[in-house]
Amino acid sequence: MTWIDLAKIAGSLVAILALAGFAKLLRLGEDERIRGEAHAIELAGQAVFGFAATELALDRAGIGALLRDAEGRQMLLRRHGAMWVGRLLDHHAEARLDRDFLTIGTGEKTFGSVTLHLGEAAQVWAAGLRRLPGGSTARA
Amino acid sequence: MPDLPNPVDFAVPAFVLMVALEMLWARRRAPEKYEPRDTLTSLAFGLGSTVAGLLVGGLIVAVSLWTYQFRVVTMPWTWWAWIIAFVLDDLAYYWFHRTAHRVRWFWASHVNHHSSQHYNLSTALRQTWTGFFALGFVFRLPLLLLGFHPAMLAFVAGTNLIYQFWIHTEAIKRFPRWFEAVMNTPSHHRVHHATNPRYLDANYAGVFIIWDRMFGSFVPEVDHEKIRYGIVRQLGTFSLLYSVFHEWIGIGKDLWSAPWRHKLSYLLREPGWSHDGSRETSDMIRARWQASPESDDA
Repeated sequence: MTWIDLAKIAGSLVAILALAGFAKLLRLGEDERIRGEAHAIELAGQAVFGFAATELALDRAGIGALLRDAEGRQMLLRRHGAMWVGRLLDHHAEARLDRDFLTIGTGEKTFGSVTLHLGEAAQVWAAGLRRLPGGSTARA
Repeated sequence: MPDLPNPVDFAVPAFVLMVALEMLWARRRAPEKYEPRDTLTSLAFGLGSTVAGLLVGGLIVAVSLWTYQFRVVTMPWTWWAWIIAFVLDDLAYYWFHRTAHRVRWFWASHVNHHSSQHYNLSTALRQTWTGFFALGFVFRLPLLLLGFHPAMLAFVAGTNLIYQFWIHTEAIKRFPRWFEAVMNTPSHHRVHHATNPRYLDANYAGVFIIWDRMFGSFVPEVDHEKIRYGIVRQLGTFSLLYSVFHEWIGIGKDLWSAPWRHKLSYLLREPGWSHDGSRETSDMIRARWQASPESDDA
């Protein structure tokens, strides 16, 4: 690697930071929220093709949702930047209930956990998460 | 060896300018098309890929020169040889790219380019760090045996890469029919980056879409279905290192836990394959879609 190569790398680094800063300055990446039940069902079907939710609980601020389909599969849907990601929950899932708030982790470290404000539905869904294949770890 | 410049070096300032212009377009028309953290990750991929290229470039040159000595003929440095080199290099790219989507070993490297849920010019720069390790360069070795000089091939490969930059955009809808028939375009390449079942594993072309039409992998973009970008199981993180190595980590875990008779399949079968059927390949997802009412309007 020559000095010219190092200069190119340094120049590229400056350009990268400048472009990322420019994107932030322009406020790109909208503050996406779930707009309602139909929207959540659509997003879940996109996250896992064929997932047709029959029951769901929406976060009050619209940053995520828990959904269940007719087969009993449960999905955690959450915001990822300006997009959405979903995971089918299995026995690796962790749930922690705090009154109206339910914190759910998928067991996938890089996916992280999300705290949803579900109101009274939080307790019902916390109980439901205990019935996942293999049994999840749910704590009150 | 002839001392040709790397055309990508000259294109980088234009890349930066075009990304900035597309951001301005996005601000007016569709702010959700960019996400600062995603952009930073994609551009860091590009820088890391450049560094990796500098580190292993000498090895690739050595392998290329060694292979070139076994050439069956020697292609001259004339205009027609450049054109043939460009076209054949694009054909080699098509087969590399198709394999990179169908064989998990190559996918582990190429998935880096697809793991953004956004499709914009910064996505074009989201390039792998592990391409050399994955041995992707072997697809260009036949051209060396045909007698094209390594320097000529490196130059046309760089030109090919530059062409592929501008097609990563949603700002351009479609070109005139004759252009769409021959060339890879934003419309064709949006299909390639889509995760909608109808679009999975399609449009592998680099510059000329004719390869997909010839080899049966062409799928046109339809206007009535919104495209979703990324990978079937979205990453859900902006972590750069995890984004770079996640599929290699997955391969490592599968090799560790799979029964002996299935281990090789986790390297060489298509992404999503599992010995116990617990995961889905793109073929399986597409088959489910074809059997569903959603495909009726296809």
